[in-house]
This record gives sequence, C-alpha cells and structure tokens, in this order.
Amino acid sequence: MKKKGAFGRLLAIKGAGSVLTAFIGLIVIYVAFGIMNPKVFSIMNIQNLLRSMSKYLLIGIGQSFVMITGNIDLSIGSVVGMSAMTSATLMTRGVNPFLAILLTILCGLIVGVVNGFLVGKFKLPPFIATLGTMFVARGIGYIVNGNRNTDNIASGIGKEAGDAFQNFFYYGKFAGIFNTFWIALVVFLVFFFLLAKTRTGRHIYAIGSNVDAARLSGVDVILTTTKAYLVSAFCSVVVGLILAAQAGMGNMDAGNTYEMYGVAAGVIGGVSPLGGSGILLGTFAGAGVWQILENGLNMVHAQVGIQRIVIGVIVVMAVLLDVVMRTNDKKGFKKKS
Amino acid sequence: MGEKIVSMEHITKEFPGVKALDDVHFELEAGEVMALLGENGAGKSTLVKILSGVYTLDHGSLNIFGKDYKSLTPNMAREVGVAIIHQELNMCRDLTVCQNMYLGREMKSGFVLNNAKMEKEARKYLDELGVDIDPRQVVGDLPVSKQQMIEIAKALSINAKILIMDEPTSALTSREIEELFQIIHRLKNQGCGIVYISHRLEELAHIADRVTIMRDGRFITQGNYADFTMDEIIANMVGREIKEKFPKVVCPRGEKVFEVKNLNAGRLVRDINFSLYAGEIVGIAGLMGAGRTETTRAIFGVDPKQSGKIFLDGKEITINGPMDAIRAGVVLAPEDRKKDGLCTKLSIRQNIALPNLDVIGGKSGIINKKTENDMCDKAVRELAIKTPNLEVDAATLSGGNQQKVVVAKWLARNSRVVIFDEPTRGIDVGAKVEIYHLMNQLKQRGIAVMFVSSEMPEVMGVADRIIVMCDGRITGELKGGEATQEEILRLATSFENKMAREGEEV
Repeated sequence: MKKKGAFGRLLAIKGAGSVLTAFIGLIVIYVAFGIMNPKVFSIMNIQNLLRSMSKYLLIGIGQSFVMITGNIDLSIGSVVGMSAMTSATLMTRGVNPFLAILLTILCGLIVGVVNGFLVGKFKLPPFIATLGTMFVARGIGYIVNGNRNTDNIASGIGKEAGDAFQNFFYYGKFAGIFNTFWIALVVFLVFFFLLAKTRTGRHIYAIGSNVDAARLSGVDVILTTTKAYLVSAFCSVVVGLILAAQAGMGNMDAGNTYEMYGVAAGVIGGVSPLGGSGILLGTFAGAGVWQILENGLNMVHAQVGIQRIVIGVIVVMAVLLDVVMRTNDKKGFKKKS
Repeated sequence: MGEKIVSMEHITKEFPGVKALDDVHFELEAGEVMALLGENGAGKSTLVKILSGVYTLDHGSLNIFGKDYKSLTPNMAREVGVAIIHQELNMCRDLTVCQNMYLGREMKSGFVLNNAKMEKEARKYLDELGVDIDPRQVVGDLPVSKQQMIEIAKALSINAKILIMDEPTSALTSREIEELFQIIHRLKNQGCGIVYISHRLEELAHIADRVTIMRDGRFITQGNYADFTMDEIIANMVGREIKEKFPKVVCPRGEKVFEVKNLNAGRLVRDINFSLYAGEIVGIAGLMGAGRTETTRAIFGVDPKQSGKIFLDGKEITINGPMDAIRAGVVLAPEDRKKDGLCTKLSIRQNIALPNLDVIGGKSGIINKKTENDMCDKAVRELAIKTPNLEVDAATLSGGNQQKVVVAKWLARNSRVVIFDEPTRGIDVGAKVEIYHLMNQLKQRGIAVMFVSSEMPEVMGVADRIIVMCDGRITGELKGGEATQEEILRLATSFENKMAREGEEV
C-alpha cells in the first residue's frame, strides 16, 4: 500500500474513479464529435467551448459544495438572474461598475446566508428552503428594474466603462483564451483548495457524511452549512455578472434552471447528491462533458429536442454507472477481506 | 483510589414528555473503572451525554476536575479531557480513519490542513493500540470492530483523562474484547478515569472497580464491585429478581424441517451443510468475520449463492431473493434492527403488516383495515409487545420490544424457519430474557429456530445444538448442554492451515 505512486494515491481518493470516468468520457465525446465535424477541433471552437463551459463550471462548483454537505441549492438560477439584474440596473443608473459588482456580491451572499440558516439552524428540508429563496430571489430580480429588462449598461456608465465591464467578464481575452474561463479557473482553484486542503472543506465532507458524528466531534454544523451555501451564492453571482456582461444588459429570466445544470455537472463528475463524497475535479470534468455535448450536438446540427434527450440520458447514465461500480466494489471488498 | 475527578449531583434532565434523569448522583475517581449499569432507558446514556457536553443539564451540578460547569459543549468537554465512545458508533463513513480521528480539531499549518502530521499521529495511536489499520483507509470500508478501535484511538489522541465507553464490546469478538480490556487496564494505570457502560455483566469481573446502578432515570446505588453479588446487581437494575438468565424449555425434537446442502456464497460461506429440526434451537457461534451473518444472508437470498441446495420439509426450494424465502416460510431477523429490521419512521402496525400485505391486501391490493388490525393485535398480544397502541413509531420502542416487532412481522404468516442474527445485541438483561422466552415460544410451536450470536454464554445457555463456524466453514457441532467455552473457542479458531503469505498487502 505504501508503494503506490502518485497516480495510485490519487485513485485511492474516494470518488476518484468517477472523475477518471468523466474525463475519459469527455475526451471520447469530444473526439467523436470532432470526427463527425472537424470544426469541433478548431481553435475558435475551443475558445468558445472554454468560455461557455465556464458558466456550468461555476454553477457546478457551487452546487457541488452544497451537495457534498448532503443538501441542495435550488436558488442558484434565481441568484444568477438577480445578480444580472442588480448589477445591470445599478450600472444603468450610473453607479460605478466596481461598486455595482460589490453590491451585487453582497446581495447574493445574503441569499446564501439565509439558505444556510434555514437549512443549518432551522433544519428545514433544503429542497423546500431553497425553493422558497428561489422564488424570492427571482422576484427581487424582477422588481429591481420595475419588472422589465434593463437598458444597455453603457447608457448609465458610458460606453468606455460599459465596454470595460463587458470585456472583463466576457469578450476580452488573455493569452488567447476568453477572460470568462480565466475567472472561472481562478474561482475553481480557490474553492478546490478550500475543499481539499482546509478545515472548512473537511467539515463540509463530514456533515455530508454523518451530520450527528460531525456535531458530536465539535463541528459547527450551522456555520459549515452556511459556508457551503455562501460558496454556491458567490458562484451564482459571478455567473450573473458574466451574463450581464454578455448581453450588456440585465435580463429578468437570466439563469433560469441553472441550478439543475449545476446538479448535472456535479453528478456527472461523481459528486454524490447524498453528500459526503465527490471532488471538484469531477465537477470540472462534468461541466466539460456537459458543454462538449451541447457544443458538439450544435456542431452536428442536432435538434434542440435531441440535445435535451441526450443530455438527460447522459446524466442518468453517469449516476447509474457510479451505482453499478459501487455495488461491484462492495462485492470485491467482501471477497478480499 | 485516586482523587475525585467527576462529581455530578442532583442531575435532572427532561425531554418533552419524559423525565430522563431525576436527581441523579454520579462520581468518578482517577484511575478507576466505574461501571454504569441499568436497563435500557434507565438514563445511562443521557447521563454520560451530559458529562460529555452533548446534552445540557436542567438542574443539578456538574463538577469536573474541581471546576463547576453550568453548560458544557462537546468541544469544551473535549478540552477538559472528556472523551466518549458512543454506543452507536458515530463516524463519517465517507471520511478516512485519520480524518475521523481529527474531525473538529484538525491540525493545520497556516490555512492548510497538515495531513501528513495528522496521519503520522493517527498511526502512532493506532500502533499503540496494536491494531492494524491504515489511517488513510475509508472508515465505511472497515468492519465495526475496527471502527471501535478507531474511536478508542481518537480518545487516546485527545489525551482523555475521563473516558466514557457506552457498550464498547457489543460488536467485538472475545479476542478483541480481551485486547480492549488490556487497553482499559493500561489507561487506568495512567490515571484515566473510565466510565464503562455494558449490558454484558459477565465482563465486569475483569475490569470494574466500582459500580453505579440506575433504574428509570434514578440513581439506585453505588459501591465497590467486589461488594456486590451478580444477583444483587441484576436485582438492583431491574428492580426485581431474575430467576433464570437462560430459561430453558425442553421439548422433544421433531422432524427435520430445514436442510442446507453444500451452500457456497463467496469466501465467507464455503460448503455449508446443516439441518434444523422442529422443536430445537440451533446456535451459530464463531468469531467476528467467521461468515455467520453471510451464511444467513445467503440462505435468505439477500446475497447471491454460488451453489448449494436448500430443502424445506424434505422438498427442495429455490431462494433467489428475500421474497422467495418469505413465501417459503424462511425468515430472517437481521442483526441491525434499526437499519435492516424495521422501518423506524413507520408505526408498529405498518411494520408488522409490511411483509404480509399480500395476505392483508388480497388480490385487489387494497389494504383491509380489519384484517390488518386483527393480525397486528394478535401479534402484539402473543409476543407481549409493550406498547400503548399500534400506532406508536417503531423507533420509540425499547430494543427488546423492537426485536419482538421484527419477529411479529414474520409470525403473522406461519413461518417455518426463523433465523435470528445477534438477537440480543445492545439489549438489557431483562429484555434479553424476554427474547429467549420468545425463541423458546417459537421452538414450542414447532418452528425451527436458528440464531447467530457472539456471546458465548448465550449460545451455550439457549441453544440445544451449537454449530461453530470459522473462516467461512463449519468447523464443528456441539450439544448445547455439554459444550464448554474452551471447546467452542477451539473450533472457532481452527483456521485452515495455509502458507503464511508474507509481504503481501492486506
């Protein structure tokens, strides 16, 4: 056991198998689409792929954090929408973009705190608690600009600042790759570190695995639950800002059903929706699989309906595969012991 | 004895509707093992949960190391040196051994967890206990006995001065228990005060210095263990004298009811052959990991069989899944009542009716309320299940009564063979006797009863015939009345002679 190499050690981490599967799946799907349409391999397509994938990655990170605690966050899509609307509304009113971003983050985090308290402290079923905040956040997104989409943000802060905002989050490039991806990557690395290397991360796994044991070991369940929801809210805000930058305005229905994309990305990458296991590298792969599917199906001109069906089947297959593998694992363990 | 390190006076704790503790007194000295005794529901667990900061007390005073505490949190308790090993092992199954040991007090360097250091420390404490566990293993993959050792290692690692063990031996084999006792002795010599809760009274002679006895949430008595006889202890616990620890019913051995031939299912069920007769109780003895539970699971159809034949009343039957077994009349009362035996959120009525819905519902599938109630009333009456009514949640019953509900599920459909897996685990003396009565009752009805047990006195006292297993094989069969502990142990440890496989990873 001690002689295992770095790769072997990596595989020994719980859930690493699913991550590997997801990455292999990602490559297979990508190459398959590439054979059908070589444009899939073009630099431009890769650039676009990475940019579009970033949204799913961010959402996936947030939802994965919450799923690992054994909960779920249905308010993600609404926080995305609320953030797009809040930031855009503020900017159309001439508020400095930096201040607008800051205020938007603040608003989003409040939703995270509310979710954390409802679930952690008052022990509401997370499905119900975040269903509530989902409606409330969407409602706030509607109200901030009087129940209509905003004008172009340049109308408030001027063309120069507007362009700067849009470029920073969406249209600009750094080292040949869109900024959106770099932003997502930074967020990913920060939270990967948080989850894998810090005490908070450890506690997040612990409460998802056995909340009573964690509490008896002195883990602050309320605080840890809230932290997970805060991560989720923060990621949602970033996506909201990206969407506002993409459109150059706030769209009231931005981010609709994104929470489910987050579940899909996490689950494809081996994050257990029951809590306690999963690593963010898997979510990365999951978001990749999701985006390559969408992109590839587009490139081979599949109908939208077909796209949905394929994606749905893949999500179920990913979990099914995991369940089957686990059952085999158990049998294998019994034989060995 | 040493100085008094814990002193609890007039402790009262109420939960909605129940007074769990009423004016309880408890004390502990350094370097002693204080056995805390009482039936289930006597309030032992509640008391130690107060001492370890899980619950806060309503009234009374709690003094640890000369300092009074009004409210104590698990973290505070840990800091003053109180460690508790819970009866229902509280581990995060998805985390590793090391992660569990340091949960809530992870070592860090800066912001980052210092895994290498924690692993090294964890390894040190595990080595100290002499157990072969890799700190990086995931806890969920380990057997219960090893999980227990991890809990103890955890207690060692926090330098516990007050160690509370709630039923630590219920999942251990004799050899492991011996190891545990050695560890307890060592800790004691180091000045640790140990609170020891166990239903296995025969253990006390090996370790207990003093005893505190509780009943119905009240303090009954306290004193040196040597000053009590076992009968006095039991009488104090149950408030009445228990005549027979293992009531015996003699009835003539009837016909062969059940036979298993050449059953194979994985490494722990190898070439199993045995028969059960009407009017007898067969005990399956063996060490942890001998394949006893696996055998029952294979028979019942939970795990797939590789080969083998099963006969009921002389006719061969095919069991591919639990439903086949149940239909044939072969039923299993599993080891973990709460996990596998009962739907703890459902009422007693719903639990009893569950496997019998085909009878109650008939062809239409609509549940006949009257048939259901009649069936459940009869079961509750026959087995003397103590419950105000049928609508009580199964979870709220005591361990003994839960076991009865599990059995009631099966009796309602005239089962022929009843297999119990560890029927008395975590059950108190009084209730144990009731379970034995229950088994005798089944035996008298002509049902073939088989039970798996790790408690040797129980196997010897209750079974008419004892089958001993080791390493997946049956290694011997003994008469109930004549078997000795040594003989059983010899059979239970007669491993196959294998070449020592050195250098291979475990």
